[in-house]
Amino acid sequence: MNMSKLLKVFLVGLLSVLLMTACGGEDDTSTDDTSSDDTTTEDTSDDTTDEKEDVTLTFWEFGNTGYDVLIEEYMEANPHVTVELQNMDQNDLHDNLFTSLSAGSGAPDVTMVEVNQLERYRDAQDRFHNLKDYGADDVEGNFLDWVWKTGENADGSFMFGLPTDIGPTVMYYRTDVFEEAGLESSPEAVGEMIQTWEDFEAVAQEIYAETGKQMTDGAELIFNARRDQAPQHFFNTDDELIVEEHDYIRNAYDYTVSLIEQDLVGDIQLWTPEWFAGMGEGSYATLLGPAWMQGVIKDNAEPGVWSITTLPEGAGNWGGSYLTVPAESEHPEEAYAFVEWMTAPEQQLKSFLDYGLFPSAPAVYEDPEFLDYTDEFFGGIKTAQVFSEAAEAVVPVYKGKGYYTVNDVLQEAVSNVNAGADPDEEWNAAIEQAKSALARQ
Amino acid sequence: MEKSLKDKNKTARTAYLFISPFFLLYAVFGLFPMLFSFYLAFFKWNGLSEMTFVGMENFNFIFTDPIFYEAIKNTFIIGLLGTAPQIIVGILLAFALNSTLIKFRNTFRTMIFLPYVTSIVAVAIIFGVIFSNQEAGFINYILSFFDIEPINWNIQNWPVKITISIMVFWRWVGYNTIIFLAGMQSIPNALYEAAKIDGATVWQQIRLITIPMLKPTITFVVFTATIGALQLFTEPLVFLGRNLRQEGITMVAYLWKDAFVYNAFGSASAAAIVLFFIIIIFTGINLLLTNRIGRTKKVR
Repeated sequence: MNMSKLLKVFLVGLLSVLLMTACGGEDDTSTDDTSSDDTTTEDTSDDTTDEKEDVTLTFWEFGNTGYDVLIEEYMEANPHVTVELQNMDQNDLHDNLFTSLSAGSGAPDVTMVEVNQLERYRDAQDRFHNLKDYGADDVEGNFLDWVWKTGENADGSFMFGLPTDIGPTVMYYRTDVFEEAGLESSPEAVGEMIQTWEDFEAVAQEIYAETGKQMTDGAELIFNARRDQAPQHFFNTDDELIVEEHDYIRNAYDYTVSLIEQDLVGDIQLWTPEWFAGMGEGSYATLLGPAWMQGVIKDNAEPGVWSITTLPEGAGNWGGSYLTVPAESEHPEEAYAFVEWMTAPEQQLKSFLDYGLFPSAPAVYEDPEFLDYTDEFFGGIKTAQVFSEAAEAVVPVYKGKGYYTVNDVLQEAVSNVNAGADPDEEWNAAIEQAKSALARQ
Repeated sequence: MEKSLKDKNKTARTAYLFISPFFLLYAVFGLFPMLFSFYLAFFKWNGLSEMTFVGMENFNFIFTDPIFYEAIKNTFIIGLLGTAPQIIVGILLAFALNSTLIKFRNTFRTMIFLPYVTSIVAVAIIFGVIFSNQEAGFINYILSFFDIEPINWNIQNWPVKITISIMVFWRWVGYNTIIFLAGMQSIPNALYEAAKIDGATVWQQIRLITIPMLKPTITFVVFTATIGALQLFTEPLVFLGRNLRQEGITMVAYLWKDAFVYNAFGSASAAAIVLFFIIIIFTGINLLLTNRIGRTKKVR
């Protein structure tokens, strides 16, 4: 009798251990970066509305979007819906999304996907709900053509997500550094002065000669700016690597390298503490960046010294996101309704006014509030107009699945050149490495 | 009194039940992924689409990739730079803490052990700030007093390795010291006293008494330190960022990058298998070498 009692205790113990593992095992998409884990939940047990059951949607986002405010508004208007917002680091979000889609569980109901990361999922249509099934075609007219097309698949039958913001690139510059170098510092004057990339180089040399300050502190930005203006990037529509067949990327690389060799650009890596600090110090003259960089600059510099003008030779697009509904979601209709609301022109205008997220809805560009929007931080200029000029000049580009793979090796090559390596060798090594990485995928 | 066969069976069954939770969990979370990894190495898989059989192609990719060899080289160099000092300093420190000459021994023991309990990620971030590339970075600032140019700590070859080795050393020296200290408690004092009477210096005592008597402890420490060094991952990842540079990429970081940055799970598994065999070979060599400690020379 003693032994069987012992046996029962062990079986209970074993069972409880197995139960704990079962509970723990579902948690495989817990956010690794829980530094800002916003959950806005409201207790809604309201069933006075017409038979809508209570639905909870999980929403993953990255960056500084200000969506929590919009979500509160949505939840008030739709009491049966609760939206749980989770904010994570951009790379973490995409890694988690990838893992959860691959594993088949753990994906949220709605998630932001950055435009370049969307390419990774082109082959995996079955992991997302086709938003066209829920009425996406009705809102097609709300969005810029090229942004809409990027959210679709190749033949236009499948919609991955609705566009939120885009990132038209402009030139942010420090008025005080330009003045120190004896140059005019109003946006019009600077725009006139720098109309081509040769002008940019000439002005950089002048500023360096007069003040000893570099034109920009991160070489990556120059490369990005020129890359984003190219009509072709790394792949053609068959996903073949064409980097060696056309000159655009090589030109971007060579131009960046020549600025590095003249000591006109620095070697600070983006998104490091030093880089953020540099924005406030005025140790360099320009920052070539997209609309959403406004929020970053505002967080790191004092008002009145930065201003904005257009880039030489056109504009590019850096960033932007889509709101997608993974196939694992059990509430696709409610999720789509939420997504459609969030990306509607009214909400995009609000996002812009509060957080500088540049809207992808052309209707907003006509809005008087948008047109008149002036930003004291940037010296009272009409920032919205500068960005919308850039946005309308963007030409859509095919990015491809391996976009970030190739981009990252080229960035590493640029930073190696900054540290003193031979540019040609680095380029060749980078291309070899990119090919090798792509072959494995 | 002899147990009957039935009782022995019952005891055996109870024993198996005792150990079954661990083995069940291990089978699911340890053994299965390992075996699947061996299987996956022969396929090409990006996580979302189907797996396609490619035979030895993944191994081909790896063995023709210069970064793979860099990763192996880095792992060994950083391993050596980080591990050898920590063991040697560990023994010396343990010997010092064991002696009765130092006051507040317990305080020192706690302080030395503290780095081990810190979060690896937090440490890597802070070391990243201390060893920052800029002129105002802490170490560069100190070097400027000696008229040395600011060093690019997370880009250039040796600076990257040195920084990561320092992080590893800082973390593990305390752990090893405490383990050695524990081992030293079992060495009888009489041996030391006899040696002192015979006129042995401190260094001779360490070499001829402490180290031979510590052989099992040293075997254990070298064994775990080697495996730990070959699996180094978190420090390079946090210090260098997601796009691990080839100056600091270690083997595990290489296969992580393959899997989660390039989405090439097949070649990542192949790299993992190669790492597996490397670790086996090296721990084998380790055991052979540490077995020789304390072997007495044949007396004629």
